[in-house]
Amino acid sequence: MSQQQDIGLLNWFGFGFNGFGQICSRSEFKTDSESIKVTSPLLLKLCYGAVNQKGESNLTSAERSVNIGASWSRRATIHLNGDSYVCLSGFGSNSADGDRCDHVLESRGCTDALINESCLTLSFVDKIEGWCHQQHKKALVWKMDLHTPDTTGIVHSLRLPLVPGGYIASKPPFFRPLPPDLQAVHLALGTEHVILLSACGTVYTWGSGSHGQLGHGSLVDGKEPRAVEALWGVPMSTVAAGGWHSACISAGGDLYIWGWNESGQLGLPSKGLKEERLNVKRTEQTRQDEGESSKDVLISVQAFPALIDIARETEITKVSCGSRHTAAISSTGNLYTWGWGNYGQLGHGSECSSDEPMLVAYFSSHGLWVQDVVCGLWNTFVRAVQRKNSPS
Amino acid sequence: MHTLQFMDQIWSDIRAVLPSTETEFSLEFSDKVEPSLLEILKQARQQLYASADQSLCLERAQIILDFSWEKLNTGTWRDVDKEWRRVYSYGCLFKAVSLCHGDAREARVQEAIKACDMGLLMGAAIMDDVLQKLVRTLKTNLKTKDSHALVLSDQPSVKRVKRDCVSVPKIVPATAVPRIRCPSLESFRSDFLVPQKPVVLEGIIDHWPAFKEHPWSIDYLRSVAGCRTVPVEIGSKYTDEEWGQRLLTVNEFIDHYILGKGAGGIGYLAQHQLFDQVPELKEDIRIPDYCCLGEGDEGDITINAWFGPGGTISPLHQDPQQNFLSQVVGTKYIRLYSPEETKYVYPHQSQLLHNTSQVEVEDPDMERFPDFLKASFQDCVLQPGDVLFIPVKYWHYVRSLELSFSVSFWWT
Repeated sequence: MSQQQDIGLLNWFGFGFNGFGQICSRSEFKTDSESIKVTSPLLLKLCYGAVNQKGESNLTSAERSVNIGASWSRRATIHLNGDSYVCLSGFGSNSADGDRCDHVLESRGCTDALINESCLTLSFVDKIEGWCHQQHKKALVWKMDLHTPDTTGIVHSLRLPLVPGGYIASKPPFFRPLPPDLQAVHLALGTEHVILLSACGTVYTWGSGSHGQLGHGSLVDGKEPRAVEALWGVPMSTVAAGGWHSACISAGGDLYIWGWNESGQLGLPSKGLKEERLNVKRTEQTRQDEGESSKDVLISVQAFPALIDIARETEITKVSCGSRHTAAISSTGNLYTWGWGNYGQLGHGSECSSDEPMLVAYFSSHGLWVQDVVCGLWNTFVRAVQRKNSPS
Repeated sequence: MHTLQFMDQIWSDIRAVLPSTETEFSLEFSDKVEPSLLEILKQARQQLYASADQSLCLERAQIILDFSWEKLNTGTWRDVDKEWRRVYSYGCLFKAVSLCHGDAREARVQEAIKACDMGLLMGAAIMDDVLQKLVRTLKTNLKTKDSHALVLSDQPSVKRVKRDCVSVPKIVPATAVPRIRCPSLESFRSDFLVPQKPVVLEGIIDHWPAFKEHPWSIDYLRSVAGCRTVPVEIGSKYTDEEWGQRLLTVNEFIDHYILGKGAGGIGYLAQHQLFDQVPELKEDIRIPDYCCLGEGDEGDITINAWFGPGGTISPLHQDPQQNFLSQVVGTKYIRLYSPEETKYVYPHQSQLLHNTSQVEVEDPDMERFPDFLKASFQDCVLQPGDVLFIPVKYWHYVRSLELSFSVSFWWT
């Protein structure tokens, strides 16, 4: 295979909060501040080591398939092909020198992994395991056996946090059953709410509604899954959940978003951001009367799904939400980000927040086609490959 | 100017408020607080004591604040674990202290005071109320500077409280709330508390330092609390669509909403426990003796400040406790409806506002609320020194007629 393809496969980037070296070893930066906030995309140095005793990988690069998961302080790199396993970097990884991450022995043979601040959930063909940190030690705190392929004849293909019969929550009880008639194919967890996609493309939400994140038009909590009626009749293809906001993409590539807009994470004019700008002005002693110069409609909470237009793009293929930011990929391979940017999680080379979707120029200017995006709480991870006919 | 000396002074004053060594600065939290965040807290502490460059500590402080702020916004305020409010206070402490190191310009000191206030408003008490001590230290230092500024400035200070065109309602004897001068505890109990009848008590707060030693004025409030950050309600009443809350310093509030042209709506420092935040002001008031007729302890009494220009309106609503509404500055028009009239006052349907009437009391929409005129009411204009007893669940509507400062005591 050509070298170009090789580069094309070592292709995950990260930006945003790096307080624990979860994007890149902090010793590689000039200043403390730069090492905490990575404001432009950095190519991740992924570990392929520790596979055989010589420390050499027995896979060619073409066989490698890698997914990323992130909690606030850690990154899980999930190697899926061949001898699959998970590597952890960031808080608590032994290799404080950085890019060689910790190989999780218990993860050998896993099919998927999910990480949060306290636990690593591992999915295998025949079981689900929850490994949590207790008194500085990793311990198996719960386990669930699945019907083996021999009895059912099929291997489930669900992505975490979905598991057969239910989903894995971030707090005990970890396993939460779901009504079988929902036919869940995709599920995402917000801080206090859940969004689910059914096989026929209907979106359900439940949990806390205090910031409009359920999309039912009110701020009321919901105990049971309830279809988002405003999306009725528009089949959806994927769902995502942020701290207090939700997003989904229709089969036709339209992006819908709702919930809290405090930092502009909905991509709609944000009252919170406007006030922040006013406060900056005030401390700079350039106070003018805050006459209502702009009569913009400012949105702090959007309790119904809103269709988000991204300039020059007609179709959105992927969306992921961080705690207070959002990232989306267009069918043209461009990445857009918006919302809270104080840790560089928008990837625009600054610590600014934005309440409108902005193209992450790094990828387009480097001739990279963005294929996947995974938001951590305060950071963002992106997979990109060389565009085929890119000028070199 | 001995700037360098001044900076050394403020830094040593601040250090005196903190434990003298890093080992004496304890960081103990329940296991709700994740080890990763604890690591950042420890880094901040270490940088505070060991590092010459306080920007490292400031950076950690911001991480701690951002992380705990998200926790404070998770679940209802009531249910937020107190540990997260403590963590937030530590973030404020680290921020305030590191702001004052080295380059302690006045703006940085002011910012540090704001950080302390944020901790006092949203956090929980830590390290024997260190934020309260710190703010006192910072204020003293700011004052030293202010007095310099006063000497230098030879401009006469032109201050004019803005005049509002507010209509003063006429109180007719038939509806007037009765007035009584210094009743005995027993007669107040039997004549008003037990039968739950409103009354204006006269002459019971005249002895407050707020009337005598330090008569409350704009200049006095500036000197005691000017640099303190407080929540201000913007918009003429809290049921308005446009209503919102903003954090401003008392000076900013006075400049903009009391003395200013009033562009951008009415501002009201309302229902804020200012006396816990600024203990000096608490010295100026006294809890009315009649509160001892209740069943609660003195510590259970909630004291709120209500400070604003003429024209602020509290829509008709009811509270779950007895209230002594004490007028210190200016006058207020108050309308009262007994709980028996609830059927005529059209409470909001929503859970959040079901204690609030939908009716604009002085300009009711008779088509939407035809029965409102059937409700019988009492009213009064509170003068400085008056205390209105509002029985529990009594509906009340309040409109300030001029610059006004009231203190409410909620008790049971």
